[in-house]
Amino acid sequence: MRTTPVPPATIRTMSDAEPLESHDALDAGSAVVELRGIKKSYGAKQVLHGVDLTVHAGEHVVIFGPSGSGKSTLLRTINLLEEPSEGSVRVLGVEYGPGFGGEKVKRGGPLQLRRHVGMVFQQFNLFPHLTALDNIARPLRSAKGLGREEAERKAAASLQQVGLLNWAAHYPGQLSGGQAQRVAIARALSLDPKVMLFDEPTSALDPELVGEVLAVMRHLAQSGMTMVIVTHELNFAREIGDFNVFMDEGLIVESGRRGFLDTCTNPRTKQFLAAVL
Amino acid sequence: MLAAYQWSLIWEHKVDFLKGLKVAIEVSLVAMVLSVVVGILLALARMSKPPLSWLAVAYINVFRGVPALVSVIWVYFGWSLLLGINFTVFQAAVIALVALYGAFISEIYRAALEAIPRGQREAGLAVGMTPLKVFMRIVLPQATKIAIPNIGSMFIGMVKDTSVFTIIGLLELTRVTQNINSVTFQPFVLYTAAAGLYVLAAFAIDFVFRAIEKTLTTPPQGRIAQALHGRRRRRVEQVIRDFQAGAATA
Repeated sequence: MRTTPVPPATIRTMSDAEPLESHDALDAGSAVVELRGIKKSYGAKQVLHGVDLTVHAGEHVVIFGPSGSGKSTLLRTINLLEEPSEGSVRVLGVEYGPGFGGEKVKRGGPLQLRRHVGMVFQQFNLFPHLTALDNIARPLRSAKGLGREEAERKAAASLQQVGLLNWAAHYPGQLSGGQAQRVAIARALSLDPKVMLFDEPTSALDPELVGEVLAVMRHLAQSGMTMVIVTHELNFAREIGDFNVFMDEGLIVESGRRGFLDTCTNPRTKQFLAAVL
Repeated sequence: MLAAYQWSLIWEHKVDFLKGLKVAIEVSLVAMVLSVVVGILLALARMSKPPLSWLAVAYINVFRGVPALVSVIWVYFGWSLLLGINFTVFQAAVIALVALYGAFISEIYRAALEAIPRGQREAGLAVGMTPLKVFMRIVLPQATKIAIPNIGSMFIGMVKDTSVFTIIGLLELTRVTQNINSVTFQPFVLYTAAAGLYVLAAFAIDFVFRAIEKTLTTPPQGRIAQALHGRRRRRVEQVIRDFQAGAATA
């Protein structure tokens, strides 16, 4: 597939915050997530310098880059685990971000947003005091208001999806890393999200356990789930990445569609790829 | 002159001794529950933003330094004058303990809450739970598990501290012992019995808290814990079987 390289991103302001080209032109799906001019600072340290990213329905976006490049922070702004200092976060057409420079925007609440966005963490973040089943059923009861029976039935169905129904009564401490991450994926899926965010889902795993998690993710991708994945698994990225984003120092340096890893032109991207591939 | 010691006095007054111990434990139990509630709220205040955190720090540092004896006199005679309320000795004893132990337990809970990885809260928020639900369902149960052994020690301390409430006339174990001694003049015998009962209470509390601790480990350890968790486990297994049966017929 031919790809159009995108020029290195610059610090974008409101006026030039247009969607990244090539991306929009190729995709027919409607936009699920639209980030515009996302900036984030911790005190004096600015970690995101105005980032734009659009994720369309059914699309698998892969974000990669060196440590400290802001890729995880960017991902976490999508469900407002990180509140951007400035910028627009639109999910399914509703604005959740703080907007630009003091402008008053009508915004949705984080609870509403998180009903549509599932998230999988590097450290799994399963609740250690609950069984695998309750890790899924508890949020269904608390967040979706399901009754106990219905929540448990749904939790069992989610566990079966990731092949762990027989581990339902086990606690996270009794699961391998790969199993724990699969339960975490099941937990996020049980809430019927419109988009799934993966924050380095395999980075904390023993190498031999990476495969089972990737298999679940691959399956999920094939089912048409919209996914945004921050990962260092570049072979996996090559395989499922419909749209690939390389970030460095709080900016999108370069992005492109399938085949991006082989056709990227920016020297910084190439340097990074040469170091990790 | 061992013969002069009338050890039979202990048996003769066993009902009084046990009543005294019962009062000591009742006061401590009520104070314990309230102290944990106060302690959690204080810990949250302490971990919040100024000026609330300053107030919490001030409270904690003041009340950790006040002895129980002073505290109870202050409550029973001081506050009742100030507020125009006549506390019963039981109420005054409970308030005096909560004022002190709330401060200690807040520090235990603060350490426990800070030990819970940030990711736990984030995961709770990410699945759409409200911050309150995340705290009550995710963070607090895990923090409590960490805090339990220290709370057990606090409870033992409380039972011992009730002995000073003899000053306001609370009929707890020490007061009972004093009363019997004032008629029988057998301090060695009677206070040996009292000491024995306090130690016994401490052992019992330690046993109970160990059992609670084991119940909270995952998977639960120990026979008591496993028995308590058996119902839950069978329920999960039933859910799995029902689900598999449903899937098989579908």
